[in-house]
Amino acid sequence: MSEPIIEISELQHAYKRQQALRNISFAVAPGSIHGFVGPNGAGKTTTLKILATLLKPQRGLVRVFGLDVVADYKNVRRKLGFMPDHFSLYRQMTVQEYLDFFAAAYGMDLAARNRVVGDVLSLTDMEARRNDLIKGLSCGMQQRISLARVLVHDPTLLLLDEPASGLDPRARIELMEIIQELRRMGKTIFISSHILSELALLCDSVTILDRGTVRYSGSISGLNQSNGETAEYLLALVEDHPNAEAALRKVNGVTEVSKVAKAPHYRVSFQRKQTDPNTLLRATLDCGAQIHGFQEVLRHLNQAFMDLTEPGVPPMISVADHERQLPPMPPPGGLA
Amino acid sequence: MKLPALALFERALRLETRSVLICWARVGLLGVILFVLVPIQSMAQVGWYGAPGLRFLQEMVWVNLVFITLAGLSYFASAITEEKEEMTLGLLRMTDLNPVAILLGKSTSRLVGAFLLLLVQVPFVLLAVTLGGVGLPQILAAYGTLLAYMFLLCNLALLASVVFRNTSAAAAASLFLLLLFFIGHYWAAGIERSLTADYHIDPTRGGLWLLTWATDLWRQATPSERLGEIFRTGFAGPVIGFQIWSNLALGIFFFLLAWLVFDRCTHEEKDSAPARRWRLSLPGWRSRIPAHVTGAQAITWKDFTFISGGKLGLLLKFIVVGLLVGLCNAIAFENSSTITREFEGTVLIWVSLVATAVWLALEAARIFKDEIRWKTLSSLVTLPISVRELAYRKVAGALVGTLPILTFFVVGLLLIPDQVGKFFEELFREPFAFGMLIVAVLQYLLFLHLTAFLSLVIKRGALPLAIAIQYLGGSFSLGLVSVFLVAGGPGTFSFIVAIVCLVLITILHCAIGARLARAAAEE
Repeated sequence: MSEPIIEISELQHAYKRQQALRNISFAVAPGSIHGFVGPNGAGKTTTLKILATLLKPQRGLVRVFGLDVVADYKNVRRKLGFMPDHFSLYRQMTVQEYLDFFAAAYGMDLAARNRVVGDVLSLTDMEARRNDLIKGLSCGMQQRISLARVLVHDPTLLLLDEPASGLDPRARIELMEIIQELRRMGKTIFISSHILSELALLCDSVTILDRGTVRYSGSISGLNQSNGETAEYLLALVEDHPNAEAALRKVNGVTEVSKVAKAPHYRVSFQRKQTDPNTLLRATLDCGAQIHGFQEVLRHLNQAFMDLTEPGVPPMISVADHERQLPPMPPPGGLA
Repeated sequence: MKLPALALFERALRLETRSVLICWARVGLLGVILFVLVPIQSMAQVGWYGAPGLRFLQEMVWVNLVFITLAGLSYFASAITEEKEEMTLGLLRMTDLNPVAILLGKSTSRLVGAFLLLLVQVPFVLLAVTLGGVGLPQILAAYGTLLAYMFLLCNLALLASVVFRNTSAAAAASLFLLLLFFIGHYWAAGIERSLTADYHIDPTRGGLWLLTWATDLWRQATPSERLGEIFRTGFAGPVIGFQIWSNLALGIFFFLLAWLVFDRCTHEEKDSAPARRWRLSLPGWRSRIPAHVTGAQAITWKDFTFISGGKLGLLLKFIVVGLLVGLCNAIAFENSSTITREFEGTVLIWVSLVATAVWLALEAARIFKDEIRWKTLSSLVTLPISVRELAYRKVAGALVGTLPILTFFVVGLLLIPDQVGKFFEELFREPFAFGMLIVAVLQYLLFLHLTAFLSLVIKRGALPLAIAIQYLGGSFSLGLVSVFLVAGGPGTFSFIVAIVCLVLITILHCAIGARLARAAAEE
């Protein structure tokens, strides 16, 4: 496996008496789109700002491209582009002036600037607005200009904090298309968002953060498969069979069998270590039932988010609470 | 209070009562009183002043007058414009609150808070009676003058705040009208004298009599004139004079005017994004970064172009300073009918120095503040440069903007090279004078640092607060002169003040860097 492009280990950060991040650890593979989700106040923006070198980590290790974000901050900044959750725009400038300024600030000569500004405007479909004042652009267009600014120095890693917030559905879809295009261009994209349905379609991997703690970090497919140790399958029979449910319950490792109302279907939960889907199928056929279908019940990201984060909890907890025993932290790549 | 018209007003007063910051501001004011009192007392002891009580009262009242004018301009002028800038005025107007309720809630509550800041001083200022040289009626009359002036200023700024779209424009308009209020009667008196002397018009007849009468009323309405009268030894006038009545009447007039134009000026919510300075938004005008400008130099270019006004700004500054120099020449010609080379050189040097000092102070107040206000600092801080380099590049952009003003300075030096040489010769011969020059330069640098730092930590009024702090610090150190003149000589004084300034500059320098990094992370 190639070296992770982002590597965070045992990261802690507190604001005065409020602990924002508590020993978080995860990694992001190069060339992937990594979603970063969590409720408000979970510590997402703090993590993003540390990665963007705007905040210094108080404890723990944070490496981007293998470089320390504190010691090597200038090199890190050259290789990443950070788009904050607000429009960081000089609204009295024209689109061209704004992008030209940032291209120059990254040390490009005139020819390179002209080329790059044209390229990013083309990518974000803003060529026609090149000479417009930024203050006159719509919210979606300003967001595209923000993204274009992030791209002018051709960074390998993009850190996007809530890029779709406040955008209308069309602008959101267009933004997601641009992000996919960027992935095709080989960029690694670390994206924080509340719009889980879009993240589920977009991301290869995801980290779920809750109250400063990583609840899950790994692939989207891994998250969908119920959880790491148990599995849930839907078994559809051709018609009801009186012995089917009992036969399934007898299988070693099956924890729960429930019948779906008004249909010859059963939800079967089992321990992965003790049994497997083939054994369940064999037991069903052995009792004389005829199988119509058999598939794993995958959780949607929304459901995983709800399961892994706790409702009604204050966004940040105090340093004193931090010392208490915490639930075991899931290792990268799967659930605890 | 159940009246809807007073709802906002009541809320603002409640908030102010709970505000810890306001309490500290009042405590700080007591510190100011001490700051003024100590040097006066020490100077009185070495025999510099004969009536320390009067001197103390004068210091306190003039400090208050300057501070009310400077701080009041931004504090009161932002009453309505802050809602416009935050695009929340529309929401206020959608409620049951009528224009009077909004004006009372947003402005009059501020005025009450400011009144309290003044009134809290009165018991302490009564010490002046004990110190000697001043009576109780003088103290009451002086503070009455300040209160009435504050009422006028508040309502004038409120009117500007209703009319203009942003605080800067409202404060600038208020400042212009205030300057007119303070010095306009001198011009009117000049016109009157000219009409009488040059055109031999009878001053007791018709329009000229009316002009004379109006000018006299105008003069009496100014707080500076009234305070001059109060501070005269043996003052026996009324505690509540014409100035108080006239200022209150003008204040009410401006409030009513603000009420009258409120709907017309605020019915449409407009984007408050910063405008392109000085017509840079002319159709077809493009600001391209020159080919040779790359890396951190681009930040200098950006600030020069979009904060200092760019090439057009240079031209405008050249014209404005040129006009000021022309005005000085016109006044001199009016008096003596000749303009000497020495005079011209001196005027050029002094006008350019004052203009540079004013311009840099204005730049210091907004150079970092604008980035924070428009949340653009984080995009600059993530450039591959340090915060220190970023700050220096921004400062360089502001300095480039002073080039046209410095051109006048250089021309002035070239016009009187002998006098300039002689000046420096004498300066090096006199260690005290040389030391004081160094102290003055360091104090100005300290002032710029203080302004920039305050602009990063307070919402508004960084420049007036810096002026007030610097003034008080200056008068405090002046008080120390007396001690050191007796103890260690003038050289010791300038040396110690220079060291103190250097230490403070270093501390503020580092604090600005730290604060910038923090502000970028907080965006």
